[in-house]
Amino acid sequence: MLRRIAHHLFWTARHLERAEWRARLVDVHYHLLVESPPRATEPWTPLLAITGEADAFAERYIAADERSVLDFFTFDEANPSSIRSCIYAARENARALRHRISSELWLELNTLHLDAHGWSPAMLEQDGVFGFFADLRDRFYRIAGIVDGTLPRDLGYEFLTIGELLERNENVARLLDVKYHYLLPRPEDVGGPIDLLQWAAVLRSASALEAYRRAYGNAIAVDRVVELLLFDPTFPRSARFCVDQLGAALRRIAAWNAAGPVSRAPATDPLTAMLTIPAGSDVIRHGLHDFLLAVQDECARIETAVFDDYLRFE
Amino acid sequence: MILRIQHRTHFVYDAPAYESHNELRLAPVDGPGQRCLAFGVSTAPASAIIEYADAFGNRVHAVSIHPPHDALAILAEAVVERTAAAPPARTRDVTFAEFLAEDDARSQEYQEFLTPSRYVPFSDRLRRFFWQARPRPTEGVGEYAARAVAYVRDQFEYEPGSTDVHSTIEDLLTSGGGVCQDFAHLTIGLLRLAGIPTRYVSGYLAPVSTAPGNPPPEQATHAWVEALLPGSTWTGFDPTHRGPTRPEHVRIGIGRDYADVPPLRGVYRSHGTTQTMGVDVRIEPLAAWTGGVPGEQ
Amino acid sequence: MGPWAIPRSSNDQVMLDSAAYETNGYYDEMFAPGLVPRPGCTRVIADLVNLPGARLTELRTRADRMFLRMGVTFNVYGGEAGAERVFPFDPIPRVIDAETWVHIEAGLVQRIRALNAFLTDVYGAGEILRDGIVPRDLIAGSPQFRHAAVGLRPPGGVFITVAGIDLVRGGDGRFYVLEDNVRTPSGVSYVIENRVVMTRLVPDLIRGCAVRSVENYPADLLASLREIAPGNTSRPRIALLTPGPHNSAFFEHVFLSQQMGVELVEGQDLVCVDHALYMRTVHGLERIDVLYRRIDDDFLDPVVFRPDSLLGVAGLMAAVRAGSVAIANMVGTGIADDKAVFAYTPAIIRYYLGEEPILPIVETHLLRDPDVRRMVLRDLDRYVVKPTGASGGYGVVIGPKATYRELAETREHIERDPRAFIAQPVVSLSVHPTLVGGGTHGAPAFAPRHVDLRPFVLFGATPRVLPGGLTRVALREGSLIVNSSQGGGSKDTWVLA
Repeated sequence: MLRRIAHHLFWTARHLERAEWRARLVDVHYHLLVESPPRATEPWTPLLAITGEADAFAERYIAADERSVLDFFTFDEANPSSIRSCIYAARENARALRHRISSELWLELNTLHLDAHGWSPAMLEQDGVFGFFADLRDRFYRIAGIVDGTLPRDLGYEFLTIGELLERNENVARLLDVKYHYLLPRPEDVGGPIDLLQWAAVLRSASALEAYRRAYGNAIAVDRVVELLLFDPTFPRSARFCVDQLGAALRRIAAWNAAGPVSRAPATDPLTAMLTIPAGSDVIRHGLHDFLLAVQDECARIETAVFDDYLRFE
Repeated sequence: MILRIQHRTHFVYDAPAYESHNELRLAPVDGPGQRCLAFGVSTAPASAIIEYADAFGNRVHAVSIHPPHDALAILAEAVVERTAAAPPARTRDVTFAEFLAEDDARSQEYQEFLTPSRYVPFSDRLRRFFWQARPRPTEGVGEYAARAVAYVRDQFEYEPGSTDVHSTIEDLLTSGGGVCQDFAHLTIGLLRLAGIPTRYVSGYLAPVSTAPGNPPPEQATHAWVEALLPGSTWTGFDPTHRGPTRPEHVRIGIGRDYADVPPLRGVYRSHGTTQTMGVDVRIEPLAAWTGGVPGEQ
Repeated sequence: MGPWAIPRSSNDQVMLDSAAYETNGYYDEMFAPGLVPRPGCTRVIADLVNLPGARLTELRTRADRMFLRMGVTFNVYGGEAGAERVFPFDPIPRVIDAETWVHIEAGLVQRIRALNAFLTDVYGAGEILRDGIVPRDLIAGSPQFRHAAVGLRPPGGVFITVAGIDLVRGGDGRFYVLEDNVRTPSGVSYVIENRVVMTRLVPDLIRGCAVRSVENYPADLLASLREIAPGNTSRPRIALLTPGPHNSAFFEHVFLSQQMGVELVEGQDLVCVDHALYMRTVHGLERIDVLYRRIDDDFLDPVVFRPDSLLGVAGLMAAVRAGSVAIANMVGTGIADDKAVFAYTPAIIRYYLGEEPILPIVETHLLRDPDVRRMVLRDLDRYVVKPTGASGGYGVVIGPKATYRELAETREHIERDPRAFIAQPVVSLSVHPTLVGGGTHGAPAFAPRHVDLRPFVLFGATPRVLPGGLTRVALREGSLIVNSSQGGGSKDTWVLA
């Protein structure tokens, strides 16, 4: 497998995952605001904090109101991480792969690209938000289904997996960090209705609310949210699940080497070790924020290792 | 005489260079009055080197260095024996009127050395320049060649810096000054327009004398021309020095112009943008040569 | 009238109406004068040509849809959007009987042998030049003569591994060579895909006619590439070098690489290390023994050719010199398809093979000769003027179709630089019944349209000729231009067993 091809596979998956993640964030946050009592401070700024784009936003937009933030997140082509930009980038990477992916996948990506081309902010007006993001969510699920159903599980598939999971892993950590650290409520608000609404939103962004209730019941407790989203090895969007899959993919990639498997500990081992901890309350007690930063650092380190070992070709 | 030539080329890169691929034309060819007794080339960092002959019979060394390196040093060493050229056998200089009768046959046989080339375009400026010094029908071909050589040198200053290695004759004609490469190209233009097959020679000019025991003075590669005079063979002229070539001229190789015989040409990859190049050529006479490939450094 | 009954007009029948189908004296591939079927065409006429118009139109529509679905498109140059279009296809195949093909095949094999010998000589000892058969300055003065190839001896002396030789049939019914294409000839993917589509449309007819298969081409190409591999590797590693998706022939590059099971690479995927060629894979550098390159010489190696090229790989020529990699086609083959050299190809065949040329070439006049030049310029509107390798920048001028001003300009160019042009008399290209109209374009009918033929010839250890080739058809009435980018289409070509 050519490095260039693996490179494009990795980035196609990463851009798609980022686009999907953004769509989830916006969708959930929008509904959170609808369901919450009105606040004095800007209700849309937490979204910018989660993605770390407050500064980029401030460069070109005046106020963090609904219209501006939605525009920035969804349509803004000058924002390389907007949903539209991510979709363009994913399709651009896939174009180099066109003869190696299934025609169904290419058709789907190309159609999504064309549709994104035609998006306009008017689509979000007058209760359009709900429908827009519901549609988008379905598109991403469909892509996942086509990938799952049509692509052979070859070396290239592993790089798709790695791109997707690295992105997912980072985003879960970021999401938790921002809610916990940035949106720190006043002591008297902890456990209050707003706090709980926000934690529920966090779970919904990861499609984890029902899973949480099944595991822990209706009462939302921070340490249990952390447990589910960071340490649960069975939930598909937990960091632990992601790193397990990442490690397996790296081992399979090493095994694909015709010259013989390279005996080298996968770059994911340290992160796997970090995420194999019994109790969320322990981590919280010792400093969740620092822990989450360390998780994100590990993700960056894994990406660098993957690039150095397999993807760098220039 | 026997000459020992050491040609060092040195590159320093602002960011490491890698995947460096180069062609060297530094090995003197054998020819009339010249025998290359030994030649060796080495590089630091070490590289895989292969040798082959190009379309003009020049000796080419392909040098390839894959891993990143901050600098590249190339050392070429040659031992060359030079003897004085045998005096030409012809008795009289053919006139242009007679010379042009054979133009057709010559233009077929020596097409490459009669037509424009990359550094010697037949521009309007060149044609005007040629017209000023054009041969007369009764003039001897050899006589004209010598005159053209002197004419070129007289019109221009030897001025390093007015032109660069990519300059064509147009640049010389507009700037008024140039170096040996430019004089050679312009002379080629004049001679070709007169129908005389002329080729570019890359080589060295050994210093006239070096007192034994003194270090050889710094040199550089030199450029001159060879013209195919009627009834004779390729005859060397050095436009920079306004006259025919001498035993001190050591030929590395020939071509249509500089583009065919650059001492070094290549590409490399780097995240940086600049390379600094230095060249150091030392030529010294040897009393005798006992054999063996010149030592590597 | 022909020997079978052709129904007269009715709204839903396409008829080969002898009154309406007028070949204007051109040789018709399918019918002798009086609508008499030529050898081998009877069944096609009965089972296909005689179908009702609606059915024929439907076949054509189905074919187009199949091509679109299969992605058999070409990129029309000009425009970032790179509009992808289906190469127009006509469902009536062009039939070549076995006996005719024997003759053509022998002529093609003879040509590729002679051209390979020519290249080996011209980049080696130069005997044909010394013997004055081909003027030396013609070779030296052509930019297609690549100095970088002088002294190079490709394995087995094979310079040309893949050739596409354009043939036309004249009014006298004989096949003539119009031009050789021995650099990066393209079009074979259409040949194979056309057959795939026809096999789905009319499977019984193909079987019944005993049409020779073309599906082995990728296997034959792979075998030829393996045969030119240097050294003793038992299983040479092969890659196909493409300029990338923006190239108009990219579909073919993808197609062939997939059919042969070889890696499709771009310049950035390749690297030379210690004068051997490798590709950059996930698990490290993998050696390549044979590079089937679909990029021009100019872009192949920035050390030796254009230094600004990113399409090739630095140091490739040194690796070829070192004997560690073979490239197909070899550098410098362009001198063999230079239009001026073309005029000498009969002499080239005689010189190297000691045989008379089996396939004549279209009369080709070198305008460097003043008498010839005078003759051509006197009747310039009766000639096709083509630029030789030495010209750079001029296009082909078709005399009878050119405007007065174009002719005047051409005359001026020729006077100024006669060595830059050759002239060929306009050949009365043969015609073939082609479905016109139908669908939204009015009632379907058959009309004669000019066709040519590009067979493909492979040469590894031995020559292999693909039965048939690409029949290109000029879809516009009276047009002689069969290029895809200028309104041409194609037909399946059936060589009968």
